[in-house]
Amino acid sequence: MANIGVLIESGEEGIKETNFGIITAARRQPGGVLFAFLLTGDASAAKAALETYGVQKIVTVMTAAPDFGLRPESQAAALAAAVKHFEIKGLLGLASPRGRDTLARVAALLDAPLVQDCMNVNLEDGTVVKSHFSGRTTATLRLKGTPLLCSLRPNSVEPVPAPATATVEKFQPPSAGSGRILVKEVKKSGGGAMDLAEANIIITGGRAIGASENYKMLRECAEVLGAAVGASRAAVDAGYAPHGMQVGQTGKTVSPKLYIACGVSGAVQHFAGMKTSKVIVAINSDKDAPIFGKSNYGIIGDLFEVVPVLTDVLRKQRQQG
Amino acid sequence: MAAYLIIKSVLMATAIIGAFSLFFVRAKRLVLLMKNVQGRSGVVVDRLADRVRALLTDVLGQSNVRRKMLPGLAHTLIFFGFLAIQPHSLELMVRGVLPGVHVADLAPGFYGGYLFIADILAFLVLFGLGYGLYRRLVTRPAYLTNGLDARLIIAFIAVIIVTFHLINAFLMLPPIGGAGFDYGRFLTVSKAFNEILGLENLSPAAGRVTYETTYWIHILTILGFLIYIPGSKHLHMLAAVPNVFLKPLERPKPMIKTDLETEGAQTYGLGRVSDLSWKSVLDLYACTECGRCEEQCPAAMTGKPLSPKRLIHDAKADLLLQSAAIIGRSFEAVTPLVRENSAISGDVIWSCTSCRACEDICPVDIQHLDILLESRKHQVLMEASFPPEMQDAFTNLENQSNPWGFGSDTRGDWAEGLEVPRLCDRPEPELLFYVGCAGSFDDRGKKISRAMARVLKKAGVDFAILGEEERCNGDLARRSGNEYLAQMMIQENAAVLNRYRPKKILTGCPHCYNTLKNEYPQFGIRFEVLHSTELLQQLFREGRLKTRFGGLEQIIFHDSCYLGRWNGLYEAPREVLRALSGGRALLELRRSGDKGLCCGAGGGRMFMEEKIGRRINAERVDDILASGAGMTAAACPFCITMLRDGLADRGSDIDIMDIVELVDRATG
Repeated sequence: MANIGVLIESGEEGIKETNFGIITAARRQPGGVLFAFLLTGDASAAKAALETYGVQKIVTVMTAAPDFGLRPESQAAALAAAVKHFEIKGLLGLASPRGRDTLARVAALLDAPLVQDCMNVNLEDGTVVKSHFSGRTTATLRLKGTPLLCSLRPNSVEPVPAPATATVEKFQPPSAGSGRILVKEVKKSGGGAMDLAEANIIITGGRAIGASENYKMLRECAEVLGAAVGASRAAVDAGYAPHGMQVGQTGKTVSPKLYIACGVSGAVQHFAGMKTSKVIVAINSDKDAPIFGKSNYGIIGDLFEVVPVLTDVLRKQRQQG
Repeated sequence: MAAYLIIKSVLMATAIIGAFSLFFVRAKRLVLLMKNVQGRSGVVVDRLADRVRALLTDVLGQSNVRRKMLPGLAHTLIFFGFLAIQPHSLELMVRGVLPGVHVADLAPGFYGGYLFIADILAFLVLFGLGYGLYRRLVTRPAYLTNGLDARLIIAFIAVIIVTFHLINAFLMLPPIGGAGFDYGRFLTVSKAFNEILGLENLSPAAGRVTYETTYWIHILTILGFLIYIPGSKHLHMLAAVPNVFLKPLERPKPMIKTDLETEGAQTYGLGRVSDLSWKSVLDLYACTECGRCEEQCPAAMTGKPLSPKRLIHDAKADLLLQSAAIIGRSFEAVTPLVRENSAISGDVIWSCTSCRACEDICPVDIQHLDILLESRKHQVLMEASFPPEMQDAFTNLENQSNPWGFGSDTRGDWAEGLEVPRLCDRPEPELLFYVGCAGSFDDRGKKISRAMARVLKKAGVDFAILGEEERCNGDLARRSGNEYLAQMMIQENAAVLNRYRPKKILTGCPHCYNTLKNEYPQFGIRFEVLHSTELLQQLFREGRLKTRFGGLEQIIFHDSCYLGRWNGLYEAPREVLRALSGGRALLELRRSGDKGLCCGAGGGRMFMEEKIGRRINAERVDDILASGAGMTAAACPFCITMLRDGLADRGSDIDIMDIVELVDRATG
C-alpha cells in the first residue's frame, strides 16, 4: 500500500492548527502508513496532537548542520530523500508561504508533479481540486507521475479527530548540502497573534475604532473566540493599526468562516478583500452603512457598547461549556 | 592703431570661428542623440497654420509663461530684450573682423529706429534679471532650481546687457563712434549711461582703451554663453521653440499605443534612455527647470519622491551620461532607467496620479506623462515590477473585468427595479449608458448610476445599458502600465460596441469617458461619447430638465482631472450647477479649473497604497474645508470616494455628491 506524507509546519507556539485539516485530508486517502514530516520543532511535543488526527509515524527530518532550520535548500533536499526512503506516494502540505516554497523545491528535486493552493486531493485517481474566479468555479486536475505533491489552502478541509498511535523516529539523509540560501532574519508584521489569512474567525475594526489602543477591546473578544484581529484601510490610514492588519483590496484577502466587522462602513475596497467570508456579521451605529447590505447578521449599535457585551457573553458560554 | 585693428580682426575672426565650431560640435551631438533613440513618438506634424499660431501666442506672445504673473513678466522682459540686442551684437562681431562695415551707413533711419527700441528693451532686461535674482536670493520658492547654473546665466546676461549700454555710450563719442551717425539722437538709456559716467570728460586714449575692453568683454561673454548653452539648462533657448511648434494641438491626448503584435519586438515601453522617442528627448532639452510643474504636482506637494521637473532633469542627465553608447548604437550597453541607486526609482514612477497638471502648466509643452507612463509600461510588461497590491487588481480585471473581482455577471444588478433596458433587448436607443466598474459594483457608484437612470427617464431620454456584456474600459490597467491587459479589455468592448453600433455613448465616470472618447479611436472604434455633465448641460438648455425648487445650498465644485485637464470640460459641470443653484455664482475652490488639484486616485493610484508622505486626498480636503462650502459636487466616482474618505478622516460632515445626484434631487 502507498504511504502518504504530510509536511507539518510548526511555529513558535507549536504546531499550527491548520495542519490538522491537511492531516485529515491525507487520512482520507486509501493507502498505507500516514507519515508526518517535521523539519523543525520538537517531535515528541507534537506527538499527542498529531496522534489525535491519526498520524501513524512522526519523522523528524534533519541533518547535523546547526543551521539546518535556516537553509531552505537543504531542508528540501533532506525531505526529498525522506520521501524516497519511506516510499511516499503522495506528499501534502499547507499552501502557506513556507509550504509553497518547500514543496516546490522538493518537486523540482524529485521531478514530481505539484499543484499549489488546492481545495482537495484524491490520491487514488491522482486528481486535485482548485478554486477559480473567487470560488465561482472549481477545476479538477489530473496529475501524472509519482509521488504526487500538493499544497492545500488553509481551512479548505475541516479537521476531524481520529486518534491513532504514532511512533517517532529521526531521518538523517546521507547528504543534503547547504545550498545558496540562508534565512538571516524573519520580520514579523504587526498582524497580532494570529495570521489573518489562516484564521477561521476574524474580527475587524474600522475607522470608528477611533484610536489604536481601542483595538485592545477587539483583541479581548478575539481571544475568547480564537479569532484574528483585522483593520480596514481607513483605520490603517488613520494610523490606528499597522498595515499588516489591513483587510481589503490592497491589504489581505481573507475568507474565514466568520467575519465580524465592527465600525466598518463596508466600502468596496474593504468588501473586495473579505467578500468570500462564509458568514459576515456587522456592528455599526449607522443603520444605512453599506456593510449591512452585505452581511448575514447586523447589529445596529455603538461598537464600544456591543463588543464588550459580546465578549462577556461568549466568555461565560465558554466557561460553562 | 592700424596694427591693433589688424590684430583685432584676426583675433575676432578666430574667436568667432572657434566659438561657433565648438557650439556646432556640441549641438550636433544633441541632434545625433535625437536621431538615434529608439522610441516611437507618434508626433504628426500637421496643421501648420495652427502650429505657427502657437508660436505666435506661446513664444512671441509669451502667454504660457505668464500664467505665473510676475516670473512670467520677468521672463518676457528678458526674452524680448535679449532677442533685441542680438542683431547689434552680430554687427559688432562683423565690425570686429571687417571694421569698414556699418549698417548705419547703409540705412541710417532704419538703424536708428532699431537702436532706439533695442536700447530700451535691453534696459528692461535688467529688471527681469533683478526679479530672477530676487527669487533666487530672497523668496527662494522650493520648486525653483537654484544652483550655480541659474546664477551663472543671470550673470552672463547681465554682463551682456550692461556692456551693450556701455558700448553704445562710448559710440556716442565721435572719436569712437565716428561722425557719420548721430547715436545721441536714438539712444536714451545708453545716453544716460554716457552722461552719468561723464564719458565726455575722458581723454581720447582712456576712452579708446575702456571702449575696446568693454567691447571684448561683451563679445567674449556672448561667445562664451554660446558655448555654454548646449551643456546647460539653457539649452531651453534652442529647444523650446521647436518643442512648442510640435506640441499636441488638442487638449485630449491618447496614451502612446504599444503594438503588442509586432514580431520580434525586443522590449516594450521605456526601459532605458535609448527607448525614448526623439520628441521626448526634445522635451528634455526644452526644460529650463522653472519648477511650475513641481509646484502643481500633487505627488511633489505631499512629500512623494516624484517631481516632474526632477524627472525631466534626471532623465536628461541619464541620457547625456549614456550618450556615447546611444550615438554608437550599442544599445545593449545602455543601463536601465530604473536601476540600483538611480535617481528615477520605482517610487518615482508609481507616485504619479496622471493628473496632468505638469503638462498643463509647462510653458514649453513638455509631455512628462509620455515618459512616466511609458516607464510604467516597461516595468509591468518587461520587469513584472509594480506595487504588489496591484496584482489583485490586475487578476480581477483579467478574470471579471473589474478591479474588485465581483462576478462580471452581476454588472447590471445595480439597475434592479428601475426597468432599465439592456442593449440586447433594445438594440437601437438614442443613447447607450456605459456605466463603468465603479457605477456597477461600488455601492456609492451604484447610487450615482441609479440617479443617472432616473434623470434620463425624467428627461425622456431613450437609453439602454450593456449589462453583462460591458467590460472595464481599460483606463486602470493602461495607466498602471498593463498595456496588454488594457488592450485585451478594449478589444472585448470593441467587439460588443461594433456589433450594436450605438449612436451615442454616455458615461458617468471621466476615466471611462476619456478612454472611450480619446483612446478607443486608436483601436479603430469611433463613437460620439458624452460625459454625464455634457448631457445634463444639453438637457437643461433644451428644457428637457427643469429644477423643481429654487436652488440648493452653496455648492462648490471639485474638478476631476480626466474631465478638466484631459478633456477641457470645465464649463459644462459649472453650468449645470448654476442651473441648480438658481443661477447663483458658484464658489470656487482655492485650486480649481486647470489648476485644480487631483483627489489622488488617478493613474491607478486608487488601487495602490499611499505609503509615502501626506495623503493627496487630505491635501485636497484642506481646500474644501477652507472654502466654507456646505456641499461639494464632483463628477467622478473615484474623486467622490477619495474626498469622502478624506472628509471622514477629519470628522467633517460636509456632503459630497455627484452632479447627477444633485440633478436627480432637484428635478421633478
